[in-house]
Amino acid sequence: MLFISLLRAVKFSLQDIIRNIWLSLVIIIILILALFSINLLYTVKVIGQATVSAVKEKIDVSLFLKNDATEEEILALSQRLKSLPDVKNVDYISKDKALAAFTDKHQDNQEIIDALKQLKRNPLSPTLIIKPNSFESIDDLSKRLDALDSPLIESRNFANYKLMLQKIDSITAKVAEAGLLISLIFAVITILVVYNSVRVATYTHRREIAIMRLVGASSWFIKLPFVFSGLIYALVSLGAIVAVYFLFLTVLQPYLEAFFVSYNINLLEHYRENFFTIFATQFVAAALVNIIASLSALRVYSKI
Amino acid sequence: MIRFVNVKKLYSHDVVALNNVNLHIKPGEFVSIVGQSGTGKTTLVKTLISEEKIDGGRIVVGGWDITRIKRSEVPVLRRQIGVIFQDFKLLPKKTLLENVAFALQVCGSGRKKINTIAPHVMRIVNLEDKLARYPFEVSGGEQQRVAIARALVHRPKILLADEPTGNLDSINANEIIDLLLRINKFGTTVILVTHNREIVNRLRRRVITIENGQIVSDQAVGKYLL
Repeated sequence: MLFISLLRAVKFSLQDIIRNIWLSLVIIIILILALFSINLLYTVKVIGQATVSAVKEKIDVSLFLKNDATEEEILALSQRLKSLPDVKNVDYISKDKALAAFTDKHQDNQEIIDALKQLKRNPLSPTLIIKPNSFESIDDLSKRLDALDSPLIESRNFANYKLMLQKIDSITAKVAEAGLLISLIFAVITILVVYNSVRVATYTHRREIAIMRLVGASSWFIKLPFVFSGLIYALVSLGAIVAVYFLFLTVLQPYLEAFFVSYNINLLEHYRENFFTIFATQFVAAALVNIIASLSALRVYSKI
Repeated sequence: MIRFVNVKKLYSHDVVALNNVNLHIKPGEFVSIVGQSGTGKTTLVKTLISEEKIDGGRIVVGGWDITRIKRSEVPVLRRQIGVIFQDFKLLPKKTLLENVAFALQVCGSGRKKINTIAPHVMRIVNLEDKLARYPFEVSGGEQQRVAIARALVHRPKILLADEPTGNLDSINANEIIDLLLRINKFGTTVILVTHNREIVNRLRRRVITIENGQIVSDQAVGKYLL
């Protein structure tokens, strides 16, 4: 009997959706818009986090060495640096390597290439690039390197990464806050629109509901088709948002790659890897909004 | 079968729908409840199917005290009391047979049971040749007969008819009353709520008269007094 009732509730729900197809479409479109805005805000958050991580990953400090330093002396200094507690890795860029990289980087700028030729010597100094263990240890490392006493060191470059990252963090946090607010506004709008749509649906079904009550249908059986409708609306909207958003990400990805050159930000991959978490959460949220709105509308307008 | 003991129903502190109603209806009786509009007849019907809660007294149906009935028990009660109304309450997009079958479907009956019972009750009300018609394709009297068929699908011991002839001409009204009498003959208790003087006088059955929420007359073989 329970199985028959469940099947009938699904049947009634599908009949209801088809018979009120325009109303159903309105509910689905509203849900799609709400889910799109939520995904958009999530995307902004992911880009912000990816940027901060990428910047943190790229942070290093450079020690520029004197031109007359020998390979043995430089390698000895490099070993000394590697033994420091906050150091993850030390890269040695020789004069020749630095010149090759410089020339490669500016190959399209003829003026720079000509200037280099006119110099007739390699003006670049050998460099040691030191990567910290973590972003948090950059301050300690800078202090240690400042205190490092070596006749090989010509100059030190400790850019203020902390300030830059604080700014990125602050912007990301503000975007996330604004996103949360916009998401909440959308959630409230969605609840109100779905609630009103269901109210209209309940009103159009008042005769059917009254007859169901009259002939002895249990209240859960009367409610069940509305619950199934809520699940179906959520499922259809989710299917649509998956298609629309993946299309949107496919279009967006090349622009992101162009904008964040040398930062590995791949939203498509992120969405593929976290597909279940992202969309299951959205399905549960959309279904809950629908079902709660349906049941409360039924309670108020049909006293069930 | 049905017992009302000092039943009181208030809609607000100064609107008294039922006031100290005492009533006993025996199994198999055919009772007409009469009274002018707004005297509490429909409220009495509503309290009997637990559509309205009472504010005082006690209602017992078939030995079951429904005064403080739980919400979850109301559907069980309603399957034991068939109800028909003046406006038929049929679903316009369903055929006559589907309207009757609907009452069984929503209560979880199996397909086999539905396919047996629905055509059977349609035969009882003499509509076996119009099963595939839609409500708008048949007369008011026939629509009311479908409503009666639907009320019978759960084999109720009580049939409540709230102004069943209110929308019908005299020929159709008499047909419906004849049908109710036939159902009563099979042992079903019939409670007819009406203000149709001719019908009540023709029936020559028990008549309870309500005025201002109170029973003012209860005659074993009565006439329309008001």
